[in-house]
Amino acid sequence: MNYNLVKAGLNLHAILKNLEDIAEFDSEMKELTSSWNISIKFIVKGGPSATVRFSGGRCTVEPGIEGKASIILWFLSPAHLNRMFDGAANPIPLKGFTKLGFLSKEFPKLTDRLSFYLKPDDKLMTDKNYLEMNTRLTLNTAAFAVPEIIKGDPVGKKISSKIPDGTVAMRILPSFHSVNITFSSGSAVAHKGDTDKPSAVMEMKNVSLANSFLNGRTDAFTAIASGDVSIKGIIPMLDNMSLLLDRINHYIS
Amino acid sequence: MKTYKYNATQKLFRRAAKVIPCGIYGHYSPAPLVPATDYPFFTSKAKGSRIWDIDGNEFIDYMCAYGPMVTGYGNPKVDAAAQKQAKLANCVTGVPPVMVELAEYMTDLIPSADWVFFAKNGGDVTNYAVMIARAATERKKVIMVSGGYHGVSPWMQGEGHHGVMDDDKKNVLAVKWNDIPGFEKAVSDNRGEIACFISSPYHHPTFADNEFPAEGYWQKIEEICRREGILIITDDIRAGFRLHMGGSSEYFGYKSDLTCFCKAMANGYPISALTGTESLKSAASKVFYTGSYWFSAVPMAAALTNLREMKKINAPKIMLNTGKKLLDGMVKIASSYGYDLKVSGASSMPYLRITNDPSLMLHQEWCGECTKRGAYFTSHHNWFISTAHNEKDIKRTWDIVDDAFKAIKKKYGDEY
Repeated sequence: MNYNLVKAGLNLHAILKNLEDIAEFDSEMKELTSSWNISIKFIVKGGPSATVRFSGGRCTVEPGIEGKASIILWFLSPAHLNRMFDGAANPIPLKGFTKLGFLSKEFPKLTDRLSFYLKPDDKLMTDKNYLEMNTRLTLNTAAFAVPEIIKGDPVGKKISSKIPDGTVAMRILPSFHSVNITFSSGSAVAHKGDTDKPSAVMEMKNVSLANSFLNGRTDAFTAIASGDVSIKGIIPMLDNMSLLLDRINHYIS
Repeated sequence: MKTYKYNATQKLFRRAAKVIPCGIYGHYSPAPLVPATDYPFFTSKAKGSRIWDIDGNEFIDYMCAYGPMVTGYGNPKVDAAAQKQAKLANCVTGVPPVMVELAEYMTDLIPSADWVFFAKNGGDVTNYAVMIARAATERKKVIMVSGGYHGVSPWMQGEGHHGVMDDDKKNVLAVKWNDIPGFEKAVSDNRGEIACFISSPYHHPTFADNEFPAEGYWQKIEEICRREGILIITDDIRAGFRLHMGGSSEYFGYKSDLTCFCKAMANGYPISALTGTESLKSAASKVFYTGSYWFSAVPMAAALTNLREMKKINAPKIMLNTGKKLLDGMVKIASSYGYDLKVSGASSMPYLRITNDPSLMLHQEWCGECTKRGAYFTSHHNWFISTAHNEKDIKRTWDIVDDAFKAIKKKYGDEY
């Protein structure tokens, strides 16, 4: 197992993906990024790649390095990328030297906000807006981590081989946020938003319960039995997906 | 039709969740009951085919405690035998004589049994059977069927499940049910290394249609196993005595080397048994295996009376016929509403599924609606019929089934 490779995939495709929602739902960050027209490629030698784009007041984070970019950040290895996410290393800029000011001053405001939302404490969680954002980002991270765990984690691969083809919808009620994950022949693709014909559904009653559930503060079986979380459809898909989600903690906390 | 509320159930569950992992764990966990809020979790009393929950709701029970209830809750003959033995001795120093009597009875009853070993749960004896097979063959590998369930020891659980290490599964090979070429390949790829093939007599996974053996399947398996020196372990925990009093291998016409029984043995008194052929008795005697309560006399006395009673009334035939009548009627009712209710497996322990919705959501909702009206149906697991289920139960169940179909038809119209 290549620990750093899996962790790099999670950092780049599951954690960094949350910049999209921060730029959309955090009013301060929305204002900050509204005028940005810039793209940044993250390229990891022997590892994953992703492109972060800001355009028209919208942020997108997608796998791959298709198209032109204003800035290219190079990492010598997956471990190098992971060290950057831990705040212990810097990337190597390959392109965009005229935009180093953006990289050193503006962009960190957004990434610092990402860290802020993903590192809650008891006091922060009493704030409704913080709770909502943390919950939203946690659900996104879970969904987009699943394909990475399947790709790189040996146990995850074995688990995924038992998941029937189809789409799992995870919803936070009432109409707060949804993600869906489509499984096909042992691989998976995650999307934000709902889906029309899911094979299995997990619905969390409200934001607060969803937060407790997604962060492991509520036992899943208890939540389901009490109706705080409801499940339906091809339950083995949810059972196995739950095992995949439990693998995330082997790499990131 | 009035539907049930579960206020006391939910209240007690919240207490349970504070002091018990999951609140309720294992196969009794409410999690696969979809939606869980349509189901009772705690049973306060039971009689015949019926259970009453702590909210006072009455149910015709089609799960039969997931199998152990076979001749009716509170069966007077079985309970009397148990109580008589309890007055004499139960868990005491020294082995109760009834153990020998029960072993003699079972070796007479079950053609493939030359000896019997008693334990408590199904997993006790499936695990012991594999240990005996390994000891007898001096081989390490085990073939099982994908989706088969043989208990909760790490080697029996799925990869990636909590508490299961990679090494736990490294000697377990999985083949598909009814797949003779796949079985042949597993054998040839591991020639001389396979100790045993462990399987239920027919395939009864959860969340999927149950499957009988294809024509000649067991006979071909037997031929391959004899040729290769592989022992056949029949996991008859669930189906045992619900198809044939001689064990399910008699029903399907093959010879089992080791056979695991449990659920239908003693009508709810805790006991399981492994039976085996004479040639394996020596290996069985060399494998050290025991448990604190495995010599308790009360369950043995209950088992002896229960099995005798089942033999006397031909219980499997009663359960198969009762199940068939019940299910035929239900399929007709479903059809009248435009739903295809597919029944698979034995009619004494059927698995049902409404095929109109492959996601199972419609089926889950219908099972919940039936349960809320007093027919306890699960949507993920095969049901169990007992000899206590009678005409009155069947007719009441049909009424409930009809009303539940009416409710989902009203909700969904022609969507499915």
